[in-house]
Amino acid sequence: MAARHLIIGGGTAGMNAIRTIREEESERSAITLVSAENPYSRMVLPYYLDRSIAESHVFTATGKVLADWGVTTHLGKRATTLDTKANVCTLEDGTTVAYDDCLIATGSSAVRAPVPGADGPGVHSFWTLDQARGVIAQIQPGSHVVMVGAGFIAFTILNSILALGAKLTIVEVAPRILPRMIDDIGAQLVEAWLKKHGVAIRTGAKLTRIDDLKRRRRLKMAAGGDLVADVVIMATGIRTNLDWLKGAGVTIKQGIVVDDHLRSSVPNVYAAGDVAEGRDLISQANAVHAIEPTAQEHGRVVGANMAGKDIRYRGSLIINIVEVCHLDVASFGAWDDAQAEAASGVKADRPAYRKLLWRGDRLTGAIILGPSSDIWTTNDVGMLKGLVQSGVSLGRWKAHLKKNPFDVKPAFIATKTTSALLPVTILGRPSKAPGETPVAV
Amino acid sequence: MSVLRIHPEKCTGCLRCELACSYMQTGDFQPAKSVIRVSPFEGHTSYAPYTCTQCAEGWCMTACPVGAITINAVGAKDVLDDRCVGCKLCTIACPYGTMFYDPATRKAFKCNLCGGAPACAEACPTAAITYEDVTTEDWLGDFARERTERVLTGVQ
Repeated sequence: MAARHLIIGGGTAGMNAIRTIREEESERSAITLVSAENPYSRMVLPYYLDRSIAESHVFTATGKVLADWGVTTHLGKRATTLDTKANVCTLEDGTTVAYDDCLIATGSSAVRAPVPGADGPGVHSFWTLDQARGVIAQIQPGSHVVMVGAGFIAFTILNSILALGAKLTIVEVAPRILPRMIDDIGAQLVEAWLKKHGVAIRTGAKLTRIDDLKRRRRLKMAAGGDLVADVVIMATGIRTNLDWLKGAGVTIKQGIVVDDHLRSSVPNVYAAGDVAEGRDLISQANAVHAIEPTAQEHGRVVGANMAGKDIRYRGSLIINIVEVCHLDVASFGAWDDAQAEAASGVKADRPAYRKLLWRGDRLTGAIILGPSSDIWTTNDVGMLKGLVQSGVSLGRWKAHLKKNPFDVKPAFIATKTTSALLPVTILGRPSKAPGETPVAV
Repeated sequence: MSVLRIHPEKCTGCLRCELACSYMQTGDFQPAKSVIRVSPFEGHTSYAPYTCTQCAEGWCMTACPVGAITINAVGAKDVLDDRCVGCKLCTIACPYGTMFYDPATRKAFKCNLCGGAPACAEACPTAAITYEDVTTEDWLGDFARERTERVLTGVQ
C-alpha cells in the first residue's frame, strides 16, 4: 500500500512539504492536507492591502492545483486532536484521517494586547487573509490608523497604510521600535526616518483600554494623552498554534522539539515552520524561528524525508528584511549577541547603518540599513547573508571590515565565499522551479 | 547549461557590460540598473565583473513566497514580473548579493542570461565575459585574493 502522508497546515511549510514529496518520491503516495484556511502566502498580504495585487494573487495553490498534485484536502477545518499511538488525526467536524507519517505545520496566530476593548469593533489584527480583508474594508484616504506594536509585522504593512492615503500613528509599549529585529542605533535611525516621512511614533506608550465612540475608537493611554482612531491595528505579537496538541505525546518546549531530520519525539511525526523548535545555524542550539524562510526550508526537508530520502538539516538562519518609506532594514543571524565582537558604522550623508558581529573571524550576525534605491544596500544585504550563512573564515578581512563596515563586497569575493556557497543545497540536489512539481497522471 | 564565465584578468574596467546589460534588461543605458557589476580591486588597479552564478540551490527561487522566480528555457533563474510583488525576500535569501530591486517598478530583477544571448558577453571588447557550457565556478575568488595587499595593508 502506498504511504499515507498527512500534512496539517496549508502555509509555507505545509505547501513546500507537499511539493517536495511529489518531487522526491519514487512511488506515488497518498497525501492529505488539513488546513483551517485555503493555502495562501501571508508574506504578500501587505501588497493586497495596498491593492497592488488582486486577492487571487495571494493563493499558493488553488483547488485545481491541489487536485493536479493528487492531494486529498480538508480545507476550512481545524485539526483538534492527534492520536500518535493510533496514527489518527481528528478534525473539528469529527472527521478522522489515518496516516503513516504526519507533518505538524499549524503556524501561529496573532495575539492582541490584553486591554479592555481589544476585541471591540474597529480593532483588527493583520495576520490572516480574513483579517486582511477586514482591514482593507476599513481604511479610507484620510483615515487615522493607529497601529499598536512596532515590531516586524507592523512594519510590513506600514508602506501599504501610507499608500492608501491614511495617517498613521504607531504606539509601542517598549522604549523603542523593532525590538526583536535591530539594535538601538538602528531603531533610532528608522524612527527618525519615519517621523520625517510623517509617521507619528510614540514609544514607551502604554495602552490601557480602547473605547468605542460609535464610528471611531479612543485609545486610552497611561500617559501622554489619548488617541482617537478610525482604525486600530493590533500588531502585538504572534503565538504558535500548539494548544491542540495537548496529550499527543509530542515533546514541546518553546515549540515542538525536532531533530536534524525535523522529526519530533514521535518518529513518524514531523514539525516545521513556526511550531518547530529546530536547530539554529549559527548557535547550533534549538530555537523557534517564526519566519518565512525557515518555514520554507523546514517544509522542503520534511517533504524529502517523508518521501524516503535521508536529508539532514544544517539549521535555519534568522533573516528579516522590511522596507519602510524607501529605507531597507535587514538583520541576519545573531545580530543581538552581546558576547560577540562588533563593529558598526553610520554614514553621515544618508540614512545608512551597518553593524557586523563576529565570533572568532567568522561573521555571525549583521544589521544593515540603507536607502532601497541604493544598489549597494541590496547587494550587501545578500553578501552579508552569504558571509553569515557560509561562516567563511574572514582572516585579515575581519580587521578591514571592522574599520570599513561598508566595504563588504571585496571581503566577500576575496575570501572565496562563492566557492564555499556553490556546493550547498538544502536537498542535496538542484532545486526545481515552482512549476515543475509532478502532477498526477 | 551555458553560464557566464568570467576571466577577470582580461577585464579593463570599461563598463561596456554594464551598459549593455542595462539596455537589454530595461531598455535604458543606465548602469545603475545593470545586473552585472564591475568592481575595482586594489585601489582601482584592476577590475572584474560580478554577477549571478545561476547556483544549484536557487536561493532566490526557493525563497519566493509566490513562485515568481522560475527557471527559464536556458536554465537561468528568472523573475516573472507579473507574479513578483516586491517583498524583497529573494534579496536577503540570495547569499551572493546578486538579486536587485527596482524602486520604480517595485519588482526584483536579476541576471536571466538574456534568454541565451547575454548582452554583457557580446559587448565585452576583451572577452573577459564568455558564455560557455561549463560548470559555474567562483571565477573571481583567486583573482581577488591575489589583489588585496593594498587594501589590507593600507599601502596606496
